Amino acid sequence: MKPFILKRILYAFLILFLVSILIFLLGRAGDPLEKAALSTRMGMADSEVVDALKVQFGLDRPLHVQYYLWISNFIRGDWGKSLFYREDVREMFINRLPITLELFAGFVFWSAIIGFPFGFIAALKRNSWIDASLTTGAVIGISIPVFWQAIVMIYLFAVAVHIFPPSGYVPFSEDPWKNLLSIAMPSFILGTHSAGIISRYVRSSLLEVLGQDYIRTAFAKGLRAKAVLLRHAFKPSLIPVVTVIGLEWGYMLAGAFIVEYMFAIPGLGRMCMNAIFAGDFPIIQATLILVAGNIILVNFVVDLLYGFLDPRVRVQ
Amino acid sequence: MTKTRDFTIVRALAGHKIAMAGLIILVGLVGISVFAPWIAPHDPNEQDLYRVLEGPSRLHLLGTDDVGRDLLSRVIYGSRVTLVIGGVSTLFAGIIGVLLGLVAGYKGGFADMVIMRITDTFMSMPLLVLVLVMIATLGPGIKNLIIVITVLTWPAYARIVRGEAMRVSKLPYIEAAQALGASGLRIMFRHILPNIMAPIIVTASISVGINIMMESTVSFLGLGVQPPTPTWGNELKIGYAYLEVVPLFSIAPGLMITLAVLAFNLIGDGIRDVFDPRLRE
Repeated sequence: MKPFILKRILYAFLILFLVSILIFLLGRAGDPLEKAALSTRMGMADSEVVDALKVQFGLDRPLHVQYYLWISNFIRGDWGKSLFYREDVREMFINRLPITLELFAGFVFWSAIIGFPFGFIAALKRNSWIDASLTTGAVIGISIPVFWQAIVMIYLFAVAVHIFPPSGYVPFSEDPWKNLLSIAMPSFILGTHSAGIISRYVRSSLLEVLGQDYIRTAFAKGLRAKAVLLRHAFKPSLIPVVTVIGLEWGYMLAGAFIVEYMFAIPGLGRMCMNAIFAGDFPIIQATLILVAGNIILVNFVVDLLYGFLDPRVRVQ
Repeated sequence: MTKTRDFTIVRALAGHKIAMAGLIILVGLVGISVFAPWIAPHDPNEQDLYRVLEGPSRLHLLGTDDVGRDLLSRVIYGSRVTLVIGGVSTLFAGIIGVLLGLVAGYKGGFADMVIMRITDTFMSMPLLVLVLVMIATLGPGIKNLIIVITVLTWPAYARIVRGEAMRVSKLPYIEAAQALGASGLRIMFRHILPNIMAPIIVTASISVGINIMMESTVSFLGLGVQPPTPTWGNELKIGYAYLEVVPLFSIAPGLMITLAVLAFNLIGDGIRDVFDPRLRE
């Protein structure tokens, strides 16, 4: 197990390194300063000013030197300054992170509370009308684009009936109830998409596990259905579910960006979306590398979970 | 693949309700986009400034948009760009991914290492955010969308094809082909590829849906295909601004996107069911 973990950690760092190069090149593509200048409508800035700015941001040096400076500063905690807000990018991150984390807590809550029971029930009631409607619901949940689901829900629950605020965010410290209301709809929208994925995988992997010999043995020795399901079937059926969460993690994070943007939730996603529109590359780079780091970390944890869920992996 | 096996697959698919539902939706959507000039009741770009933001009427079945264009006609024409971007980018990404995946899986060694590192790098990034960043750099437009989506989505195929090619390469018939002196190219394309088509088709089908979703998202955010070209994402972008006045303006194009993605997901599911008999009755 130990060499396995060590190898995985080394590999994760290698991928993170390659990701950082890709992100760096993306940030430098297409003369970032010129674009930033255009989007602030100071496009007329004369070339002397632009050249001075280039020196200030170190863009006049060769690419590999720029990369070295950028990555070493990043690791030391100096993430640069936003081109527009003139603020320290790291500070902007720290200020916005709790909001995004709250959205994510809501998202995990909804996807778990919908995804697992639905998948479980569909598997147990296999080929009934309950199964058919849950499975159809799941595939529809996957197919609805996040932004359209947001529009429809805003119309239904904020315009037609005033239950939730159409957008905006109220901090918990200000008004806990309004805070929950403002986060409920956006997190639900994120949650339904992944709940659709989770319930499909829970269903199919549970069906596969229930067909195994050792489950028949468990029934044959007189165990009650509840005991068989919870003690013997549930854990191994989680393996594909965990895999798909790892694979879909990046997709879910991107969904959070869209939702934050649409609901005007002042978190990391909205900050990055605005930075993309404005060409604020220090923010884009920092966000991308942290998100990629997060995806790599999640997939690493997924690999470790295999060992926990499937003892055979530990032996190998 | 022999003729008889092809035949059983087609028959199995034909008997698969879910796949058929998806196929019917898809045929409908493709039909709408091909025959758009004959189906659409109005010219999608014809403005009527006396009739802006109207609700459904006999003249305009779904109502009109903010400059008095017929919404139904715009939704019908919108299917063209969206389906073309979804399909073409899937085709390109599929070709690149399958080629690299075959080389990585069959040849192994250095090529495998390089291709897989690139694949893992791409797959550790949030795809949609990368699409937005790259489109913001390259500029909007149909061509750029296809390029960006292709560049970012081929690794999904490469990874799957590599795994399958490795598995198949160990089978005795490949060894037999090698012993008979077949070239590497011949083995890859004549002996391995036909036997791993199922997971490729499943991936491609689901991928068209994802690509359509990405194109709509990018267009919805105003970075995609530029107006006045009608796409579902563009319609939604304008419609969203008038959500309280004419809700149908946002609902109709969004429903079309959902239907398109749903169709490809259902077809993908159906093919997977047919090829993976473990879960079949």
